[in-house]
Amino acid sequence: MTEPLLAVEGLRAGFGATTVLHGVEFSVNEGEIAGIFGLNGAGKSVTMKVLAGVVPSRGGRITFAGQDITRLSAEKRVAAGMGHVPQGRQVFPDLTVAENLRLGAYLLRRKDKARAASLLDGVFDRFPVLAERRDQLAGTLSGGQQASLAVGRALVNEPRMIFVDEPSAGLAPLVVQELFATLKQVATSGVTMVLVEQNVSFGLQLADKAHILQMGRIVYSGEVGALDQQALAGYLGIGRMLGGVTSSALAGRRAPSPSPAINGSAAATSAEGEDRVPRSQRRRQARATSGS
Amino acid sequence: MGQVLVLGLVYGVIYSLFAVGIVLVYRGSGTINFAQGEIGTFGLFVAWWFTTAHHLPWIIGAVAALVMAAALGAGFEWAIVSHMVEANRVSVAVATIGLLAFLVAFEVRFFEGGNIRKMVAPIRGTGWSVFGVVVSPTQILSLLAAGALAAGLALLLKKTDFGLGVLAAAQDPVAVRLVGIPLARVSAFVWGLGAAVSVLGALFIEPTIGVFTPGFASEMFIKGLAAAVVGGLTSLEGAFVGGLLIGFVEVGANRVFDFPGVKMFSILFVMLLVLLVKPDGLMEGFKFRRRALA
Ligand SMILES: Nc1ncnc2c1ncn2[C@@H]1O[C@H](COP(=O)(O)OP(=O)(O)O)[C@@H](O)[C@H]1O
Ligand SMILES: [Mg+2]
Repeated sequence: MTEPLLAVEGLRAGFGATTVLHGVEFSVNEGEIAGIFGLNGAGKSVTMKVLAGVVPSRGGRITFAGQDITRLSAEKRVAAGMGHVPQGRQVFPDLTVAENLRLGAYLLRRKDKARAASLLDGVFDRFPVLAERRDQLAGTLSGGQQASLAVGRALVNEPRMIFVDEPSAGLAPLVVQELFATLKQVATSGVTMVLVEQNVSFGLQLADKAHILQMGRIVYSGEVGALDQQALAGYLGIGRMLGGVTSSALAGRRAPSPSPAINGSAAATSAEGEDRVPRSQRRRQARATSGS
Repeated sequence: MGQVLVLGLVYGVIYSLFAVGIVLVYRGSGTINFAQGEIGTFGLFVAWWFTTAHHLPWIIGAVAALVMAAALGAGFEWAIVSHMVEANRVSVAVATIGLLAFLVAFEVRFFEGGNIRKMVAPIRGTGWSVFGVVVSPTQILSLLAAGALAAGLALLLKKTDFGLGVLAAAQDPVAVRLVGIPLARVSAFVWGLGAAVSVLGALFIEPTIGVFTPGFASEMFIKGLAAAVVGGLTSLEGAFVGGLLIGFVEVGANRVFDFPGVKMFSILFVMLLVLLVKPDGLMEGFKFRRRALA
């Protein structure tokens, strides 16, 4: 068997006196889409930040492409082939679309300008809306366009693996379907992916493997196909959620009630089609629901 | 009137330089380096040591002072500020006051700072009379240097990847690391550049004022701070506009009213007026948004 591209062993992390990750373990093979699912506050985003190197680990080991990267800075990890689409997208609001993409290719442009230019063309082909709006300030884009920009910004550096945290948050179902189709293409083109989704029915459409995170521990890892509904419901505390997964009609209609998301409020956000709600407001909503 | 314009420009440009240094650091780290002015004074001591005490050309002293300031600014960021990423921004500002106190103590101890000193001018010569004011070659040079600095900064920040990274770091310090930009280098650069710009301001204004003692450039810094705030604290264009405005107001008030302290009164007045009418500064179109590290 070949080595996994990413191996996470006994990863611990926390803030101050609280421990958030109590020994997270999972691995991702080359070419795979690994879905990380879990309730709000389970530690999915913290896991992503520790993997990125922007939150320090307090124990455990991260191996990427055969190299122990546990002590590497965030920049060096990007140089090693990691790309990030963080929660909330985090595009640079006062820079234009083109400037955001130029910074996405910061490291590649220092090595190979021509290669960076051709990757940029690839991103513009994949997201024509970004090409049309290349001189628009990123902060004035809609949520869906910002999501495209965040994905594009990660891809222009030619990553081996991208880490995508809740790309669907705050987007209308139709926009989510479009974005997921793009992510699927990206994965097919050979980029390995870790995907965090709180909307499990969306996430399961895309993922090959599922890792379920509960209170800072992985409690299930396995093929998505092997996951039975009962087990999933047991871990995530809801039933009937696979009802919508196979139904492509989900894309075209408002989210059914009871919703397929892990918690009701998140489904409400994605069902309202509020593609243009200012981010600050969306944040406030997100925060308001995070106690559940 | 002509005299007010000429003198206001001469002083205003210097305040602009200090304001630019303040804005750079504020944008890069969300705080204010209160030692920046005194780094300017310290630069004068260094330049004086080379030129007056050791009779080397002005340019040698100036370059040494600029290098010292850049190293001091960047070194302070590296040694102290970079370890305070999680800290309240006010705590960082207080740490810079520690550096200010240290610099003053150092000047007094090692340069016998109590003595009044004079720094030589970059260019000698009698100058030209404009609107009845004699404008010295140094003053002309300082205008040119400020213009060159403004153009250089604009080019750097908009045209180079590194400069764009500086702008981006102010908008989202976490996201810049996620795209692979070395944030530590960006911050150190901004603090170093801010400090070096202070030295530039101090070197150009000293010949106009005549003498310097410890604390010399800290007074300029306070006016630069007023200029930066008037300009919105985050806008480089605002820093230049604010500096010139403070310069004109100060010189104008000094002509119209004749009582001690009128300059500082007038600056306070303008600052309050701008803050009341446009609380985000004159350049409020260009807003700076700080993201929580969520
Ligand atoms: N910067 C932080 N400081 C303190 N606690 C945090 C911080 N970030 C996350 N946490 C806590 O860590 C836990 C996991 O958060 P997170 O990983 O964001 O959850 P999710 O699985 O919804 O993405 C939560 O209890 C959250 O409050
Ligand atoms: Mg999260």
